[in-house]
Amino acid sequence: MKQTKYLMNPGRLSRQDHTLKFTPVDEAGNEGQPRFLPVEQVSDLYVFGSLDANSALYNFLGKEGIAVHFFDYYEHYTGSFMPREYLLAGKMQVEQTKHYTFPKKRIVLARAFVEGAATNILRVLKYYDNRKTGSLADAIATIEQLMASIPLVPDVPTLMGIEGNIRQIYYRCFDAILGETFCLDGRSKRPPQNELNAMISLGNMLCYSACLGMIYHTQLNPTISYLHEPGARRYSLALDMAEIFKPILIDRLIFRMVNKRQLQPSDFRMEVEGCLMKESARKRFVQEFDASLKETIKHRSLGRSVSYKHLIKLECYKLQRHLLGIDAYKPFKAWW
Amino acid sequence: MTITGTYIKYYKVCFRKLWLFHHKIEMEHNSELVAEGSFIGEKSYPQRAERYREMLIDGSKIDFYDPYNKVVHEIKKSDKLEHSHVAQVQFYLYLLWKNGVKGATGLIEYPKLRQTQTVTLAEEDISQVENWVSEIERIVESEQCPGRIAKSRCRSCSYFEFCYAEEE
Amino acid sequence: MYIILVYDFGQKRVGKMLKLCRRYLNWIQNSVFEGEMTEVQLKEMLHEAKRIMNEEQDSLILFKNRDQKWMDKQIVGIERQSTDDFL
Repeated sequence: MKQTKYLMNPGRLSRQDHTLKFTPVDEAGNEGQPRFLPVEQVSDLYVFGSLDANSALYNFLGKEGIAVHFFDYYEHYTGSFMPREYLLAGKMQVEQTKHYTFPKKRIVLARAFVEGAATNILRVLKYYDNRKTGSLADAIATIEQLMASIPLVPDVPTLMGIEGNIRQIYYRCFDAILGETFCLDGRSKRPPQNELNAMISLGNMLCYSACLGMIYHTQLNPTISYLHEPGARRYSLALDMAEIFKPILIDRLIFRMVNKRQLQPSDFRMEVEGCLMKESARKRFVQEFDASLKETIKHRSLGRSVSYKHLIKLECYKLQRHLLGIDAYKPFKAWW
Repeated sequence: MTITGTYIKYYKVCFRKLWLFHHKIEMEHNSELVAEGSFIGEKSYPQRAERYREMLIDGSKIDFYDPYNKVVHEIKKSDKLEHSHVAQVQFYLYLLWKNGVKGATGLIEYPKLRQTQTVTLAEEDISQVENWVSEIERIVESEQCPGRIAKSRCRSCSYFEFCYAEEE
Repeated sequence: MYIILVYDFGQKRVGKMLKLCRRYLNWIQNSVFEGEMTEVQLKEMLHEAKRIMNEEQDSLILFKNRDQKWMDKQIVGIERQSTDDFL
């Protein structure tokens, strides 16, 4: 499988001899030793440092089907360069639109996304509840109750309300899971007001980008979504799908890194604009994220090993089958 | 609607594959088997380009046609002979026949097996091909996507994960 | 499949070979590349390489491994270039 490359340091990316060349450039403008990236092995690029590039490069990336996701200094996602769609199917587009336009069809999918997210949240909580001897039992019971009401929810705004409640209860558990080093003190975004919020923001954006990257390799249109209102962000279907994977991919990663003390308060800096993860910590976080995307599990219905990244792709397939009327979409539920 | 050799081949293998293909729901190109298939087709016989023609007939592309001997050549990467390949070539012969080329024959080459198979189009095969074509039209125009076939035959298909990724 | 590729080409052709390898694999030191690739990519690359090389004079050697994890890589002295995904 092709790999994601992460450009953490400032430099210039260019096209040379039908492949990619990255030349590090430091603040004083001195060039370092260039490195060639084998274009045939690159699936997408995540850019964190400042990047110098010209249109010849983007034309080349477009031709090779390589997407680029940009993050600014504060780890905010700023946008993506998406190559022209190469897998277009009128039928899929029409069905995707129909499932948005008809409220009865839309609510079915929206419910499935919330149900998937909630199931995976519970999976994470139950694991820590075992280790923390039952201190999360109340939260789990409340989330289970809220989950039971999902099938009865009549419309998307009400569903969003339930989803918000579940997430609020879930975030309150973070402090119990993480001990005293970091505390969440309410979710704050844009900018994150403390360390934990900075981790969650960066993690969620990485998850969103991974989902967008996989959607691109199918006929799904990433701008038509069901739980989130299309236009909430450019690629709102990636937001829908990220809901399902965030607890498993991101939250577990945060808990692991904090509990193993791979992230310490000294890895963060408070600035006027919010809390900032220092460069070295950010690199470690992104590396751990990449390692978890590559981790494999044995898929039960396929009988083969698949990576977490590939699980996202399989989720796209299941969604496509639903849209084509083949079978009802059942969201991915972690079973471990 | 234009029916091509690929439609015939998929019709013989799996109705669902045919339906998805018609609706342009194709798996991406880096699927190993697909990529290998096209690679063998393109590169196995570079020296043939001189003698054989690529021919477009009623919207179907015949990769290698020898106009002097009236032979349709078809190259398959597969490591076993398959009846869908024969059907595909019979369909090409049918198109030639419809366009006034009588008595053409086909030759399927399996470079991996170092084997060939001769294909002909008899009188009774013509109505059979016409049946296939109308069956194909009925299947792809249906609203409903056809069901799966037996899983054991699906493992090497490029749609395997599309069809079988499920939750329990 | 994880590949280590080394080549020894005549001066006139060595530049072309270098450029070809850079499209598929990571350069690690002079005339040596390594990296993950699929069977099809390898076929494609060898097809191109055969067009560049003079089979009487040039040589190309491949070490293939099912998985990178079965290979123990040890570097003595300096690492000319790293191959990781973080730049």
